[in-house]
Amino acid sequence: MLLPLLAMAACLAPVAQRPPQQRQEPQVDLVAEGHLIIAAAPAKDKNLWGYQVALLAMKQGRYSEARELWDRHLPPAGALLKGGASAQRARSLFQPEEAKIFFGEPHERTLAWFYRGVLHWMDGEPDNARACFRTAQLLDQSDESARQGDWVLLDYLDGFLTARQGGDGSDKLRRARAHAPGGASPTLPDYDTSANVMVVLQLGFGPLKRAEGRQGETLKWSGGHSTAKAALVRSGRQTVRAPALDDVSFQAATRGARRMDALLAQKANVKQATDTVGDLGLVPGLILAQSEGTRAAGQGLLVAAVAGKSVGGSVQPRADTRTWNNLPQHLAFAALRLPPGRHRLSVDFLDGEGNALPARWRELEVDVKPRGDTVLFVADP
Amino acid sequence: MRVHEFIVASVTLFMGSGCLSINDPTSTNGVTQMRPDERGFVAGLGIESQDLVVVAEKMARGMLGVAPIAQAKGKPNIVLEPVVNKTRFNIDKEIFLTRIRVALNDKAQGRVNFLARQRIDALERERNLKQGGQVTGGGSAQANEFKGADFILTGTLESISSRGKAGASDYILYTFQLLDPRTSDIVWESFYEIKKQGRDDVTYQ
Repeated sequence: MLLPLLAMAACLAPVAQRPPQQRQEPQVDLVAEGHLIIAAAPAKDKNLWGYQVALLAMKQGRYSEARELWDRHLPPAGALLKGGASAQRARSLFQPEEAKIFFGEPHERTLAWFYRGVLHWMDGEPDNARACFRTAQLLDQSDESARQGDWVLLDYLDGFLTARQGGDGSDKLRRARAHAPGGASPTLPDYDTSANVMVVLQLGFGPLKRAEGRQGETLKWSGGHSTAKAALVRSGRQTVRAPALDDVSFQAATRGARRMDALLAQKANVKQATDTVGDLGLVPGLILAQSEGTRAAGQGLLVAAVAGKSVGGSVQPRADTRTWNNLPQHLAFAALRLPPGRHRLSVDFLDGEGNALPARWRELEVDVKPRGDTVLFVADP
Repeated sequence: MRVHEFIVASVTLFMGSGCLSINDPTSTNGVTQMRPDERGFVAGLGIESQDLVVVAEKMARGMLGVAPIAQAKGKPNIVLEPVVNKTRFNIDKEIFLTRIRVALNDKAQGRVNFLARQRIDALERERNLKQGGQVTGGGSAQANEFKGADFILTGTLESISSRGKAGASDYILYTFQLLDPRTSDIVWESFYEIKKQGRDDVTYQ
């Protein structure tokens, strides 16, 4: 049953003219540079750099370095984010939100746990991987209940790993399908519990944060995009289509209001009010202060105006726009069955119309383990 | 205070308070040494050292009192299987098993014997080297000298987790079973449960 389907999938798959794969050695060791940046960064920014460098290390296949970085910068799964004195500063009128220690917004925290899970899976710890995927889904906190915990791949992999361990993953599969792009259309295949090669893919560039509103107190996201909308993973006669399952921009934008937004709005109101007092009092104060009879009143008005301007100038309502800037726009996944030993895998990336993107084509050498899962991480770009 | 002095002082104060720099917000004045069964001040919702200690001690007490162990003739051989983690917390299984084995050994005072199955690859390699004559001791090494288990100890960790406006909560259930591999009987079973809740600072909500 499976073989004819696979053969048919292979026939339907688009064929691309592939350029020779360029094997350029990187001029600069960006991961090593990243370690230096982390060391030099202020404590409040170390986690941000840690996340970025860890993902960079994963993209370069330097998994042990990535593991070490996640373990150093990702708080334990049960940690309550307190931020200590830095969080107090971020709450104060006169410090910006970015004074707090960076743990990322919910979509960033979710993805950090997703990557940690992928590494556990690579290490032959599927239950720890599933634990990370569950934590990742839980961190997708939102006030909009329909958007709570709606990462497709996290549910899909949770159910997949449960099914692989003899459990019932059908509920998670149903949830994943319900949230998958295309709604009820069968984007997600049934679990192949005999698959032993797992290809985790990420596509495109994730969203960036920007500050909006009168005083920059509102956090918004923009800029996430990906030309690739799916991937075809081939090995021999086996071809598996891996569609984009999660949209990181969508996840970032649908997380609902933050409680911090209310604090920033208060700060913005204070800034606005004190600025207004300054503006209204300055000119009349100067005029009144010229005349002997009204000098005292003018000076009082001037004091109030300057104090208002000073307070307004010192209030920091700006939202924290520190962004984990090498996140992808989409996540995808493919599971294959391959015998143990060395294999060659090719990955074609497809645009929204299903056309192959020849410049993105990738070939991988994979050593399939005799026991357990062989997990590959493929990033485009 | 004259008016212009007041103005300068106010401006300086406000500007100064706005420009305070943060060098190391995580720095602490020192390290506090605690007992592993003590709940620390950085406690979270997950599986922590104090839980591990309590679970291991409770299990050791319960398991050693059960008749097949307490009244066994000779030392029963026990294999510790890696715990199955169904929670949302990634755990180091090695430390779990080690803590339980140490607690059991401590309480059992030589009444049970643990088999190092998790080191079976290394043990087989050593035995093969001996049998192959590559190292000394080959004469005494027989192919079937590894002991079979009289009991298998298995454990499962499960959790129910929720997160919302009011905060986060995690209920963790630790269950352990002592199995007789000959009959598949559950000789002993026990559980430990804990619920924790808390919330992130408002700046992270």
